[in-house]
Amino acid sequence: MPSELTLGESLAARGVSRRAFLKFCASIASAMALPPSVAPAMAEAMAKAKRPSVIYLSFQECTGCLESLTRAHQASLETLIFDLVSLEYQHTIMAPSGEAAERSLHQAIEENRGKYVLIVDGAIPLGDPGYGTVAGQSFADIMTETAKGAAAILAVGTCASFGGLPKADPNPTGAVPVSHIVKDKPIVNIPGCPPIAVVMTSVVAHFLTFGKLPDLDHLNRPKAFFGDTIHDRCYRRPFYDQGKFAKTFDDAGARQGWCLYELGCKGPVTYNACATVKWNGGVSFPIESGHGCIGCSEPDFWDRGSFYQPLPMSLWTNRGKTLAAAAAAGAAIGAGAAIASRMRQRKLVEEK
Amino acid sequence: MPLSEIPIKVVPASTDKPLNAPALLNEIAAMLERLVESSATESIDLKSLPLAPADYARLEEILGLGEVSAEIEAAGPTRVRETAVHGVWWVTHMNALREPTAEFIEVTYAPEILKTHPSDAAAGLATLRSRLMDAQGDQADAE
Repeated sequence: MPSELTLGESLAARGVSRRAFLKFCASIASAMALPPSVAPAMAEAMAKAKRPSVIYLSFQECTGCLESLTRAHQASLETLIFDLVSLEYQHTIMAPSGEAAERSLHQAIEENRGKYVLIVDGAIPLGDPGYGTVAGQSFADIMTETAKGAAAILAVGTCASFGGLPKADPNPTGAVPVSHIVKDKPIVNIPGCPPIAVVMTSVVAHFLTFGKLPDLDHLNRPKAFFGDTIHDRCYRRPFYDQGKFAKTFDDAGARQGWCLYELGCKGPVTYNACATVKWNGGVSFPIESGHGCIGCSEPDFWDRGSFYQPLPMSLWTNRGKTLAAAAAAGAAIGAGAAIASRMRQRKLVEEK
Repeated sequence: MPLSEIPIKVVPASTDKPLNAPALLNEIAAMLERLVESSATESIDLKSLPLAPADYARLEEILGLGEVSAEIEAAGPTRVRETAVHGVWWVTHMNALREPTAEFIEVTYAPEILKTHPSDAAAGLATLRSRLMDAQGDQADAE
């Protein structure tokens, strides 16, 4: 049942003060690289908006995306997303179950037809309808039917955005992403394994403030969060530029926080906000914790070879015809390091 | 010398000296000038800038601490301090675990988060009137 209260009234009823909401908007504006001066206007606009109905469908997924969103260990600003929206249906966290739950889904679809936001996590198996069913209905049919009345679709996580792990070779279930099935609705892909929670919250906040989805790149990812590669914003970049690479996970270079390129970091070809927004409330991200990026927000990252083999030079030359001089020098350093690392790893295998 | 022959020298980033603070301080000065001339308020999102610890130290050194320091408790603490430079405020938003979530330099007469919103004042009026009526009722009962 959609709430007749405005978002501001709903928040006040839950004890979220206007100042707390202004603080939330300031953080979201910062995360989206919007001018800080937009925060008060954002708060005013969102406070007057009606909470949109949201239907959240889960298919071939591990629940990691929902965990990223909900498992904040404090009442964080990210979890306020559930105050911004009227969540009508979600397998894991909704109260009803069985037929009552399915009735609530169909009721939400009918009452909000054309206006609800559909959030999807997980891939959809097309190999056999029996691979994934809810209440006797296949995932593909649920996806198709529910998408018809949606105003917009958020494909959360790499599985829903690009197929993810279910689609990895040999793809035994015929898994496909949301965009393979839905062709006539605006889709925002928020990839990541899992995705960063604040990205999803920001997309919803942007929608409520400006009445439209944020600017998207060629893979339908929000440019505010997927406009730069991890490499472009990595705090270890100076070490890359100086040719200082960790050779093993516990050598002197690793202990000094040197670049993890030779240990297989996929940062140069991965677009995400991990290096700036980070994880767990901005505490850290994989590289800062000593492990290279595995490229989890890119299509088919599971099938791109070892996480521990450095990127081949061919991927560098695909980045564009014109490289700045520093980037060219960096690429040359990287290529040399990649060759050295591959030779070293081959030698280790041969010695065994 | 043609462009292609200009040698490339990679200068490693040093975190000992401030890198961006001097430029940022000049930007703050320009904003303050606009505040004085036209009452225009502006903010700088510190988290969006590549600031080294030395940059923060230089900002704190030059801006200093002023007369006003306030802590707001709303979904975690928010610290609002006017610097020793009147009109330049330092606002740090934190979550319930006191981890910084956003940090701004605001050039304004008073940061928005300090002010009471008109609708909150109206709600406050209703609350106060209700409490006064309850208090009067209690007093009448006691007599």
